[in-house]
Amino acid sequence: MYREKTRTRSSEERANFTRREFIKGIGIGGGSLLLLGRFGIHAAAWADPGNPVLKMVLVDYGKCTGCRTCEAVCSSHNRPVTIDGKELPGLGNPRYSNIRVESFNPDVDVPNVCAMCVDTPCVSACPVEPDPKTGRRALYRDEATHTLHNDTDRCTGCGSCAEACAAQRTGVISSDPTTGRPERICTLCGGDPQCVKWCPFEALSYAEVKPDRKRYGLAPEKIAAELAKNWYGTADFGGPK
Amino acid sequence: MSKIPGYHGIVLEVDLSSGKVERVPLSSEDLAKFIGGRGLGMKMLWDRLKKPGVDPLSPDNPLMFMPGPFSGFPVPAASRTCVVTKSPITSPVKSEYPCASTVSYANMGGFFGPEIRFAGYDGIVITGKANELCYVMIDDGKVEILDAKKFKGMRTDAFDKAILSELGDRRFKTVYIGPAGEKLVQYSSILHTSARAAGRGGVGCVMGSKNLKAIAVRGTGQPSAADHRRFLAALEKARLALKNSSGTKAWAEQGTARAIVANSNAGTEAVRNYREGTFPEADKIGGDVARRDVWVRDIACYCCPLACKKSGLTKGKYGSIVHDGPEYETGVMLGSNLLISDMPGLLKAIYNIDDVGLDQISTGNIIGFLMEAYEKGLIDQKFLDGIDLRWGSVDATLAMIDKIAYRDGVGDLASKGVKALSRQIGQGSDKFAIHAKGLELAAHNIQANPPRGLSYATAERGACHLNGDNIATQNQRAMFDSIGLCLFPTFEPALEEPTLSLLSAITGREYDKAEFLKTGERVFNLEKMFNYREGFRREDDRLPDRFFEDAFTIGSKKGSVLNREQFDAMLTQYYKDRGWDPETTEPSASKLKDLGLHSI
Repeated sequence: MYREKTRTRSSEERANFTRREFIKGIGIGGGSLLLLGRFGIHAAAWADPGNPVLKMVLVDYGKCTGCRTCEAVCSSHNRPVTIDGKELPGLGNPRYSNIRVESFNPDVDVPNVCAMCVDTPCVSACPVEPDPKTGRRALYRDEATHTLHNDTDRCTGCGSCAEACAAQRTGVISSDPTTGRPERICTLCGGDPQCVKWCPFEALSYAEVKPDRKRYGLAPEKIAAELAKNWYGTADFGGPK
Repeated sequence: MSKIPGYHGIVLEVDLSSGKVERVPLSSEDLAKFIGGRGLGMKMLWDRLKKPGVDPLSPDNPLMFMPGPFSGFPVPAASRTCVVTKSPITSPVKSEYPCASTVSYANMGGFFGPEIRFAGYDGIVITGKANELCYVMIDDGKVEILDAKKFKGMRTDAFDKAILSELGDRRFKTVYIGPAGEKLVQYSSILHTSARAAGRGGVGCVMGSKNLKAIAVRGTGQPSAADHRRFLAALEKARLALKNSSGTKAWAEQGTARAIVANSNAGTEAVRNYREGTFPEADKIGGDVARRDVWVRDIACYCCPLACKKSGLTKGKYGSIVHDGPEYETGVMLGSNLLISDMPGLLKAIYNIDDVGLDQISTGNIIGFLMEAYEKGLIDQKFLDGIDLRWGSVDATLAMIDKIAYRDGVGDLASKGVKALSRQIGQGSDKFAIHAKGLELAAHNIQANPPRGLSYATAERGACHLNGDNIATQNQRAMFDSIGLCLFPTFEPALEEPTLSLLSAITGREYDKAEFLKTGERVFNLEKMFNYREGFRREDDRLPDRFFEDAFTIGSKKGSVLNREQFDAMLTQYYKDRGWDPETTEPSASKLKDLGLHSI
């Protein structure tokens, strides 16, 4: 059922999301394809009518109950284990989940997941020199999946990507406490996001990235404050700022 | 990695007297026989309190936070934590031990039990007593006892925020007591996420006696499963069983609050201190009205598709209240049982009781008792420190809640429970002091429901509405409490097979239904052994006279009353079926041998 819903939504949105708007959306105007290259987006991918849109996991905050099933299934899929030489889904330890449910008092739950930013502040912040052949920094957007990848051989673990994400967007990217390398970059599970598939409350959908969408790319604290004000007339959470 | 599949094989023991922190290994035999949660907690209580009569508020009484083998795995609704200790509120009719009391266990949902397992433990055992108010911080292997003097007296909603400010990370899962627990009110609760509670049986009082304000846990690990493939297959089955269950949707729609109107109609609701089973104004505080006027969101515990918890907002005379509820127990104990039908007032009472850290059920029960004693003229307004404690008065109820929490005046008397209170008041008030073994009954009334009466009378923690109305159910639920699974999803029959499969896959021991029930029976019998050793006998499995004398005067079950002879015969049969002596309730040697309890 959720699939059907997703399909409807994305086709409706696809109709009004052209490459021109995409460029407008990131505020750099036409003819700046070189700049796009700097962001790690292969321009050709966007000219390809077969791959016209960026997609993301979209949250309907009113439906989220804070159960964290998304964390478990994300971890299970993206942190597989090898048993008797065979790769199997993991047991779903939320430590390894790329989607993170932030919970507040009064009751507001905000699943925080990579916004698949068109302008990728995380990639821009990567200080590793672009590879002359591919134009990629250590952190780059993959042409095929449109998700972000980190080249662990070249990553210095400096944490700039996490800082940029926190300063400019959702702050979902964090640095592994041991290696400093970025964690929690959404993989979209190869086009079938498990969190969307298993959310018991249909709070998640697989949708087109629209930077002008309400609450797009905001930090969970900001989203929670707005929701709490709407729902409870207060945004006094206390707790860590 | 642990050698015992499905477990870490370790409980964390914190001795607050010495400050010593120990990782105590668990034996695979104990885990096989007692599983986790309520069962393993019971076994550890048995091992630690070798003699009867230990003062429950002494440093010797361990306070144990027990997840089960399901905890920390994304099994739907495996969110529960059992808090096990020796009860500060129960007592036998007679015993040679002055501090004799039953086992106590209180069960709560949320995220705490799973986080204990993420941190690398199968349980947390608190012993001793700190010199000053403290809290315990557990961050994987790092364990610290920290100062909590600055939080002294803090109410739970404010504390929930303050502790996370201090710790600097919202991912810490916390449990804590309010001023009532600090003041040793005997039916204090332990709160989690401001509204979830291990409420029953005085566990918050025991926590207060240790000068322990809170425990905060954060972890990054996870146990392994004995059979990974089988676990994954059974997990998917469990998820689909609940996804396709009509019950799942019903839980999300109204949670337990649906029963506020349904049970009133059925004549099984606690109304006017259990005098009636029907509340003519139930629809004013029921699920339909709450959904329309109060509830903002549906809230779920860890990996649960039911989302029976509701967060709501009411505005009115008592200001803007943001809180959970009403649910069945809170809505009935503070609503129907006190004849309160004003929704904002009801929400304010529920909020205040959680905020000071009292058990909603016992508090509503005791205030109902006082209202009846006041109406009957057994006590006057002076006795009540000037409170005009009439039926239906929200203001008087709120005043009483504060009196109790801070043990002020009449609140000090009331802080000891309805049994002690009725003894103080005398004048035949024991007839309507509604408790079993000293623990107050919950929101299910029984004049028209004898099997639920059996549940209240025979539950080993004192009057319990969740224990089960017959032996098989009691054994089964002892197991749900031991594996870490919530009771509510188990009403879906299609979940039974995946549950057995999951337990087998996690532990590597094969469970069919018979073995599952037998393990639960072992847990229940060990609880009985503990209570028997303390001096509890058949005379303690009694219900107040009200249920045998005061027939309902209204509602669909008008005229219903329990029959003493029939109820006694039911009890006799129960003991025989359990393999216990019907005169004394002592478990027979052959029963204990059969359960492997003869030599412990």
